[in-house]
Amino acid sequence: MTRKARAIGLISGGLDSTLALAMVKAQGVEVKAINFYTGFCITETQRRKGGRPDGSVPRNEALRAAADVEVDVEYVDISGREYLDMLVSPRYGYGKNANPCVDCRVFMMRKAKEIMEREGADFVFTGEVLGQRPKSQRRDTLRVVERDSGLDGRLLRPLSAKLLKPTIPEQEGLLDRSKLGDISGRSRHPQMAMAEALGIADWPQPAGGCCYLTDESFARKFFDVLRAREAAGEERRIEPDDVVLLSTGRHFRLSPKAKLVIGRSEVENALLDNYLEGRARVEAQGVAGPVALVEGVPTWEERQLASRIVARYGKGKDLPQVEVEWREDGEAERYPVAPFDDEDALEKMRV
Amino acid sequence: MNATLPAPDRTLDTSGKLCPFPIVETAKAVRALAPGAVLLVIATDPGIAQDMPMWCRATRNEHLATFKEGAAWKSYVRRAPREEGQP
Repeated sequence: MTRKARAIGLISGGLDSTLALAMVKAQGVEVKAINFYTGFCITETQRRKGGRPDGSVPRNEALRAAADVEVDVEYVDISGREYLDMLVSPRYGYGKNANPCVDCRVFMMRKAKEIMEREGADFVFTGEVLGQRPKSQRRDTLRVVERDSGLDGRLLRPLSAKLLKPTIPEQEGLLDRSKLGDISGRSRHPQMAMAEALGIADWPQPAGGCCYLTDESFARKFFDVLRAREAAGEERRIEPDDVVLLSTGRHFRLSPKAKLVIGRSEVENALLDNYLEGRARVEAQGVAGPVALVEGVPTWEERQLASRIVARYGKGKDLPQVEVEWREDGEAERYPVAPFDDEDALEKMRV
Repeated sequence: MNATLPAPDRTLDTSGKLCPFPIVETAKAVRALAPGAVLLVIATDPGIAQDMPMWCRATRNEHLATFKEGAAWKSYVRRAPREEGQP
């Protein structure tokens, strides 16, 4: 070893990134952990909606990992316009759902490079494992991420390092390559053995799967918004409000120019009430029922249809008629409607 | 339980902000404090009760207490003594 090295570790709080933190720190490297906030974390959203059904609040695993390994941790918000535009036009395409994992990693590594340079660190590392994910963690895509981020030779994957080309800090003697890992593939047994050896006893189960973009139901809504905006002659883009609304409520596509979102719980109803700007608020009157929002420019018939669907999800669903209030731009109208009762037609509209 | 807590040198109100922003703002506020000074964080995100002790453990600041008072949570943090090389 020569001088003491400094490194930036990207952590999600899962087992792999916790191990990577512990491995690099164990080599005497001064480590700073970074957790990127994208707005698409399922656990964060669960917390925003009041926690789990049993009342417990999911813990923040990135904080837990940094605390367990005793390294400084910083959150970096990357959820802005640049990130949203990347999601809509990923150079390397999508995974199974709306997850442009390769582009997302390139984006994050570029930010990590900026942090590395600002902090005077020698390298960046992640918990990625060669061959663990079908697209984003193949040997060729790991290399693409390293190249496109500008981190050539300074991006270490400690868990698989012995299977990859030596990085600059290894070549300079800042890291002992013999103490790095040679893990590949989807099995988690080697990581569990390594965790035991490093004294790490606590990690989230199941591993991974924290990103809404990898969720099938979320992806349907994500692409529906893009398609509808294109069909309506608008720019194909995702807005910051969409990030919250796509993970909230039941969604029904009334037409390319109009969509209905209905709250599924008191917490979601309250959340929808924070997103009224530019949308109509629809709610049944005189009977308990959900809060709903209508986005876009509905026709008269679509206003009636949306009102009937909202009535169907309230306590008045079996009544012959329910009065539904439609409030927008400070003005309110009331429509007496029959609750919608054609379940097949409803399913066809569901996004 | 709070009679023994020190008077804060600074109070940070994060009410209405959700995970991870109460911690993001805490980190910024603690960096601006003198070593040994105390920050009181007010939060409405219930996750603060778990997050603050873990953040303090990770960053080696001292977690004095976190408790619910009315609708909000209060968290007391003392900035760690200055370490060699720190600003």
